[in-house]
Amino acid sequence: MLEQIEASCCPRCGMLVAPKVRFCPYHPVEMQPTTVPGVGEILSFTTLYAPPQGFRSPLHIAIVELAGGARFVCHGEATKGIRIGSRVSVEAVDAVYYFAHLGALDRARLFWRRAGARGERVSAIVRSWTKGVWKGRSRDTHA
Amino acid sequence: MTRFGRRAESLPDLMADAAGAALAAARREATEAIVVASMNPEEFIGEGNFASYVATHLGFAHVPAIRVETATSSGAAAIFSGFTAIAAGMFRSVLVVGGERMTHVSTPRASEIIGRSIDPYERSYGATMPALAALVTRILMARRGVGLREISEVAVKNHRNAARNPYAHFRAPVTVAEVMESRIVADPLRLYHCCPISDGAAALVLSADRTAVRIAGIGQGTDTLAVRYREDLTTFAATQSAAKAAFSMAGMGPERVDFAEVHDAFSPFELIALEDLGLLRPGTAGSATLAGETALDGRLPVNPSGGLKARGHPLAATGIAQVVELFWQLTGQADGRQLEGTVGLAHSIGGLATNNFVTILAAER
Repeated sequence: MLEQIEASCCPRCGMLVAPKVRFCPYHPVEMQPTTVPGVGEILSFTTLYAPPQGFRSPLHIAIVELAGGARFVCHGEATKGIRIGSRVSVEAVDAVYYFAHLGALDRARLFWRRAGARGERVSAIVRSWTKGVWKGRSRDTHA
Repeated sequence: MTRFGRRAESLPDLMADAAGAALAAARREATEAIVVASMNPEEFIGEGNFASYVATHLGFAHVPAIRVETATSSGAAAIFSGFTAIAAGMFRSVLVVGGERMTHVSTPRASEIIGRSIDPYERSYGATMPALAALVTRILMARRGVGLREISEVAVKNHRNAARNPYAHFRAPVTVAEVMESRIVADPLRLYHCCPISDGAAALVLSADRTAVRIAGIGQGTDTLAVRYREDLTTFAATQSAAKAAFSMAGMGPERVDFAEVHDAFSPFELIALEDLGLLRPGTAGSATLAGETALDGRLPVNPSGGLKARGHPLAATGIAQVVELFWQLTGQADGRQLEGTVGLAHSIGGLATNNFVTILAAER
C-alpha cells in the first residue's frame, strides 16, 4: 500500500508542509490537517560519510517533492540510480521515512491502487502467491 | 581581532585581547555599552550569563552589556544591534565583541552543537550543516551549470589570500587537485570545500562621532528555519532581502562595491552569495571565479582575508572579523593584501541562511 503522510495546509496561502505543523511558516494562522500520498520526485540528495551520532555510515538523505508540492526530508537505503527528478515512493519503517526507487512492482501497485478495491484484491492474491513460491523455494534450498 | 586557529587561551581571554586591540585602535579607554556575540558558550565552554561574564572580565562590570545570538551570523547581528542603539540615540559609543572557543571538543561534538541551528525534524534525519549544504550544492550543480571545478577554485583562491593574512587559521596555499581529491564529507562536498573549526575573537568600536570609515548601510534578511519549506534552494532569500535593505540605506547599488567579504562556510556559498548580493549577474559567479575576477588582483576581490574557508570560522567572531578586514582595507592597514577602493561589503549567514546580514562600509573622504 502507498503510504499516506500526515501534512498540513495553510488556509490562507494553500502552502502544504509535511510532516504536520501548527502554524504556516509564512502566516500566523493555524494549519488544517490533511494527508499526501507518499510518492514524489527527488529534489536533491546527499550521502554523509561522517554522520552524526546514532546514524550508520554512509547515511543517505534526500529532499523529496511529494504530490501536491509538500517537500519532505527522508532517508534512503542507497542512492545508486537516483538522480534529481527520479520518481520515488516514501514509506515509513518504524516511524522513520525512507525513499525508494519506484520499481516495476511499485508502479504496478500504483496502478492497482488507481484500479480500486478490485486491484487491491488482485494484488493481495499476487502477493500471497509470490510469498508461497518464495517459501517453497527456500524450503528446497535448505533441504 | 585575535589570530584565528587552534588557540590555548580561554574564550573570555581571547575576547579581552580582541576588545583591547579594538579600543586601542579607536584611542579609547571606555565605552558606553557592550554587545557580546557568542553562538553557544553554554555548550562549548559551559558558561551562561555571558554578557555579564565578558563585561566583568574586561573590567567593564558597570557598563551595560547584552548578548545577541543568530547562530553563525551572531557577530554581524551584534554589529546590527550596536548600530541600531547608536542610531536611536541611546549611546554615543558601543563596543562590539564576539568569539567562539571550539577546537577543544571533538569534531562530531562541534558539528552537533553547530547543528542545533537546524530545524528539529530535519536534524532528526541526521541533517548536519554539511548535509544541508550538500543538498543545496547538488541542485546548484544540476540547475545552474556550476561544476566542481568552479567550486574548488573558490577554496584555492581563499587559501591563497589567507597566506597573506597573519590572522588566518590556514597560511598554506592548496591546489585545485588537492581540493578535488580531498575526502568526501557530504557528497558532492569534499573536506576542502568546508570551513574549519576554529578558536578566535574579533571586536570593533562603533561611534556616533565622525570617523575614517562609516557604516553606510546595514540590513537583515530572514528565511524559514526548515530548508524544505523553501521555494528555491539555489538562491538564499535571506541574503537578497538583507542586501536590498543595506543598499537602500546606503543609497547606492552593488556596482559601487569595490571588494567584499562573504560567508563561504562552504565554497559553493560564495558563488550563491555573489549573485544574491547583485555583485555578479545570475549564472556568472562560477566563470568569473575561474577567470580570476574575484582574486586579489581581480575586478572585484572577494574574501581578501581568506574568508571562512581559510581565515577560519570561530562562529560569532566571523561577522565582526569580516567588518574588521573591510576597515583595515579601507584605511590602508591590510599589509601584504592591500586593495584599492572606498566601498566594502560584508555578508554573514546565520544557520542555513535563516538569518543573514549585509553591512556596507564606506571610507570618508
